Amino acid sequence: MTGTSNPYIPILVIGAIGLGFALFSVGISLLTGPARYNRAKLDAYECGIEPSPQAAEGGRFPVKYFLTAMLFIIFDIEIVFLYPWAVTFDQLGLFGLVEMGIFIATVFVAYTYVWRRGGLEWD
Amino acid sequence: MGLEEKLPSGFLLTSVEKLAGYMRKNSLWPATFGLACCAIEMMAAGAGRYDLARFGMEVFRASPRQADLMIVAGRVSNKMAPVLRQIYDQMAAPKWVIAMGACASSGGMFNNYAIVQGVDHVVPVDIYLPGCPPRPEMLMDAILKLHDQIYVEKLGPNRELVIKNVEAAALAALPTHQMKGLLA
Amino acid sequence: MSNDERGSFGIHGTGDTSGYGGLVRNQVSPGSTERPFGGYFDQVTDDLERAYPDFADAIERIVVDRGELTLHIKRERLVDVALILRDRLKFENCLGVSGVHYPADTNRELHAVYPLLSMTNNQRIRLEVSVPDSDPHIPSLVEVWAGNNWNERETFDMFGIIFDGHPGLTRILMPDDWQGHPQRKDYALGGIPVEHKGATTPPPNERRSYK
Repeated sequence: MTGTSNPYIPILVIGAIGLGFALFSVGISLLTGPARYNRAKLDAYECGIEPSPQAAEGGRFPVKYFLTAMLFIIFDIEIVFLYPWAVTFDQLGLFGLVEMGIFIATVFVAYTYVWRRGGLEWD
Repeated sequence: MGLEEKLPSGFLLTSVEKLAGYMRKNSLWPATFGLACCAIEMMAAGAGRYDLARFGMEVFRASPRQADLMIVAGRVSNKMAPVLRQIYDQMAAPKWVIAMGACASSGGMFNNYAIVQGVDHVVPVDIYLPGCPPRPEMLMDAILKLHDQIYVEKLGPNRELVIKNVEAAALAALPTHQMKGLLA
Repeated sequence: MSNDERGSFGIHGTGDTSGYGGLVRNQVSPGSTERPFGGYFDQVTDDLERAYPDFADAIERIVVDRGELTLHIKRERLVDVALILRDRLKFENCLGVSGVHYPADTNRELHAVYPLLSMTNNQRIRLEVSVPDSDPHIPSLVEVWAGNNWNERETFDMFGIIFDGHPGLTRILMPDDWQGHPQRKDYALGGIPVEHKGATTPPPNERRSYK
């Protein structure tokens, strides 16, 4: 009451309100609203046409999707490492610069490999 | 679970009907089904001058799962008919359909091999809106008439009674080709 | 030129008042035009003759009508002539394929028309290929002008002209399992009678004369 209560209490309250609202919305729509079964509702939505063949049984996707996802992860993690360096650039000085340069060069070698091997071609 | 449809007929059901009708009519979300020229007028109705946002309907949902009103705006070709039906099926109940324009209501000026002569061959229609294309004010008038229809919609046992009466009246009514109009 | 005028309002004969039957005019097909053609047409035909030695064998006739040049080509030579026109004479742009159906022209019922545009030289010509209905095959020009892909599919869908060598010739406007080719002259309109209160209006191609 005199300002000594935990400053994170309001966040907890907002979190609880948000969670309560979400649970209420899902719960009320389970209870009310007509439930009419229609087989089309179970189909994937693809603008009204027959959904293109799913890769459900064998899990066979075109490999380009996997490659894109993997490359994104790797370079995203690299950027995650670059952010703290950017924030504390002054304190780290020359040592940090050289070390980050070696880090970027290492990842760059991998990038060149992917590029020359055709991993960046979509088709 | 549809609790509101399981209430017994009486004062409680009437109050719930009024509440549900009021809620449903004021929160209609249209699904984008603009096919041809009527779509332009539908866009104009959603734009600044003739504002659909005053009804909360400026959000045209692209996914039928989030929409409850399908405004079929434009001519439906034979190739498009199964797509129309699939989108209608994927909408969650309660759902309504406005056939906007002459082509959606009856095939319009296109009486040929390619165009479905009225989307009521494919989906059940609640409001037919004539015009080629209907002005945005006419579309808003159709939406308001639909709001009135939704407000008085009955639930549960009252609804079954209404359905029975409407069906009996339709079976006993005079067919169109036996009516005497101006051309007879 | 028949005496039976079909077409506009108040005309006896079929009694068609909608105009759907089409006006019947004295359709004289322009025959082969003699040189000089006028404008840049002479230059284009000379260049084509120089670049393609089998010119006289491939071209059936040259028509200059209403300020437009049309080259009627045999279908076997179509791809060669198209390549020469695109590469040597700089007709980079092909504006698609149009189909035409002349049911009265036995053994040359189906025509395919390719309008070509040269943006470097500001010239327009037209190629026309005629095939019989019993053997409606034309070599595909998709390798010459890639934009013709969907246009050839549309011509196949509407007229039934089969383009040999097309990568995937399927219906594009009508549903995939449609029977018939709608834009042919002998394809019915397919309209249904319109029901009013107390009367029915027949579709436009079946209406009576109100005389």
